[in-house]
Amino acid sequence: MTSTLLEEVPPPRLTPVAGVNEALQRRRARPGGRVYAALRWAGATIFAAVVVGLVVSLLTSSSQAFAHSGIGFFWSGTYSPSKDQYPTGVFIVGTLVTTAVAVALAVPIGIATAAFLSEVAPRWIATPLSIAVDLIAAVPSIVVGLWGLLVLSPAFAHHVEPFLKTVPVVEWLFHGTALGPSMLLAGVVLAVMILPTIVALSRAATASVDVADREAARALGGTRWQVIRTAVVPGARTGIEAAVFLAIGRAMGETIAVAMVIGNSYTIPHSLLSPGSTLGSAIINNFGEANPGLDRASVMGLVVVLLVITALVNVGGQLLLRSRTRTAGTRP
Amino acid sequence: MTSVAVPGAPAPVVAAIGARRDYVRERARRSLARRRLTSRVAVGLCVVAVAISLAPLVALVTDTVSRGVRVLSANFLTHVPTPPGIPGGGISNAIVGSVIIVALASAMAIPVGIAAALFLLERSGPIANALRLVADIMAGVPSIAIGIFAFAVLVPPGGFLSLGHYSGLAGSAALAVLMLPIVVRASETAMRSVPRDLWEAGLALGVRRSRVVRSVVLRGALPGLVTGNLLAMARAVGETAPLLFTAIGTELFTASPLQPMAAMPLVIYEDGTQALPAAQQIAWGTALVLLTLVLVLSIVARLVAARLNRQAGRV
Repeated sequence: MTSTLLEEVPPPRLTPVAGVNEALQRRRARPGGRVYAALRWAGATIFAAVVVGLVVSLLTSSSQAFAHSGIGFFWSGTYSPSKDQYPTGVFIVGTLVTTAVAVALAVPIGIATAAFLSEVAPRWIATPLSIAVDLIAAVPSIVVGLWGLLVLSPAFAHHVEPFLKTVPVVEWLFHGTALGPSMLLAGVVLAVMILPTIVALSRAATASVDVADREAARALGGTRWQVIRTAVVPGARTGIEAAVFLAIGRAMGETIAVAMVIGNSYTIPHSLLSPGSTLGSAIINNFGEANPGLDRASVMGLVVVLLVITALVNVGGQLLLRSRTRTAGTRP
Repeated sequence: MTSVAVPGAPAPVVAAIGARRDYVRERARRSLARRRLTSRVAVGLCVVAVAISLAPLVALVTDTVSRGVRVLSANFLTHVPTPPGIPGGGISNAIVGSVIIVALASAMAIPVGIAAALFLLERSGPIANALRLVADIMAGVPSIAIGIFAFAVLVPPGGFLSLGHYSGLAGSAALAVLMLPIVVRASETAMRSVPRDLWEAGLALGVRRSRVVRSVVLRGALPGLVTGNLLAMARAVGETAPLLFTAIGTELFTASPLQPMAAMPLVIYEDGTQALPAAQQIAWGTALVLLTLVLVLSIVARLVAARLNRQAGRV
C-alpha cells in the first residue's frame, strides 16, 4: 500500500528560518482577524437580538390581554373594544377560510402552469412567459389589493357572484347578497397574489429535474403527460412543496390586500359571499384606534395569534423540507 | 397476421401463439390510444390553467398601467397633495419618503445581514443551524407583526429606544427587520456559490482571513449579493403593513426621518379605500409609479447579475 510507504518516510526536519515564528506571531496578533471575527459575531448577534426582541416585545405587550381574558380570548364572540372583547375565533376562521380558497385556486393552476412552461411550451413561449411571471411575482400586494377593490369587486358583485349562486351542487357555499367585498373575493385576491410565486418557484423546481429522468420515462414509452406525472412532478416534489408552504404562509400573513376587499365584518360568516375578517385585517382596522392599555394589548394578542399560526406553518414546512432533502440525499 | 411461427410446431400451437400475439398487440394499441388521449386531455388542461393564471395577472398590470397613465404628469410627480376637494396635487412627498425610508432600511439591514451571512458561512454546528432555521422562519413572519413590533419598540412615549412619536425612522427600522432574513439567506447562498478552492487558495497563500473574504469571497459573490439585496429592496419598497403604524404618512413634504413620513404604499391604501373618484385616481397613479419602481429594481437586479456573471466568466 502506498500509504504505508509514505508513512515510513520520516518527516523532514523543519529548521526555522530566522524571523518566521515572529512573523507568524505578529500576524496572529494583528487586529484584522479579530476585527473580522467580531464583525461576524456582531452580525449574528444583532440578527438574533432582533428576533428575540420581536418575540419578547409582542409577548409582553399582549400579556395583559391574555391575563385578562385567559383562554376566553380565543372565543369571546362579540366584538366590543370597550369591553376588550375581540372575536378572535371569527378572525381565525376567516384567516383559514380565505387561505383555503386561495390555495385551492392557486396551487393546482400554478403547478399546471409551471408544468406547461417547463415541459410543454416551446422555448420562444416559455422563456418570455417565465420572465414575465418572475417579474409579476414582485408586484406589491397593495397594488393587487387596489385592483381587487376597484376592478374585481364590482365585477364580482355584478357578474361572478350572481353566477355562482346559480351553479348547482356548490350553490350552498354562496348564500346571501352579492355585495362584492366578501370572503370569496379576499380568497381570490390572495390567489392572484400568491399565484406568480407558486408558478415561479414550481417552474424552477421542475426545470431542475434531471433530463435523464425524463428520457428514462420517455424511453419506457411514456406519453408527454406520463413523463410529467411519473418523472417531473416526483422529482420536483420538494421544490413544489416549498412553494406551496411559502404561499400558504404569505396568504395567512397578508393584511393590506385582504383588509381592502374582505368587507371587515365581525360576525361569524355563514357563506363565502358574506363579508368577514381575518387576523391581519382585524389588526389593521383596530390597532390605529386602540387606546394604550388593555385595548391595545388585545390587538397585540391578535398579532401573537397570527404569529404563532404562521410560525407553525413555516416551522412545519421547513422541517418537512429538511427531512425530505436529507432522505433524498441518502437515496442511492 | 401470424407471419412467423415456431419451426416444426404443430398447427394448433402455431395458431395459439398467433392469437396470443394478436391479443397482446391489440391491448398495446388500445393502451397507447388511451394514454395518448389522457396525455392530450391533461396537456390541454395545462393550457387552460395557463390561460386562467395569465388572465388576472395581465389584467392587473394593464389596468394599473391604463388607469395610472391618465393621472400621471410632471405635476403629479413634483407636487405635494392638495387638500380634499381641490383638484391637482401630487405625490412628491410620498416618492421622496419611500426612497428615504427604503434607503435607511437598506443601510441598516444590508451590513448586518452580510455579516450574519459570513457568520453562517464560517461556522457550522448547532448555533449556525439554529440561526439559519430562524432566518428561514423570520422570512415568513407576517409583515404586520414586524410593523407592530417596530411600533411597540420605537413609537410609544417613554420607551428605551422610542422617539415618542411616529417617524420615518421607525418605518425604516420595520422594513430593515423585514429585509434582514432575506438579505442573510440571499447573501449566504451567493457566497456559498464561490468555489471552496478559491477560498482555500487564498488562505494557502498566507493571506489573512479577512482579506480572503474581502477580495475572494465578497468579490466572487458580488453578482449574487447585488441581485439578492436589490430584490430585498424591491420587496421592502412595496410593503404597506410595516409602515402603517410607524411612518404613518403625512400630507406634508418632509425629508427628515425623525418626522412622520409619507410613502407610496400608504398613499395607495389611504386614497384607494376612499369612495371619491379623485382620491381613487391618485391611488392608481401612485400604484403605477410604485409598480414601475419595483419592476425597475427587479429588472436591474437581474441585468446586474447577468452582466457580472458574464464578466466573471470572461476573466
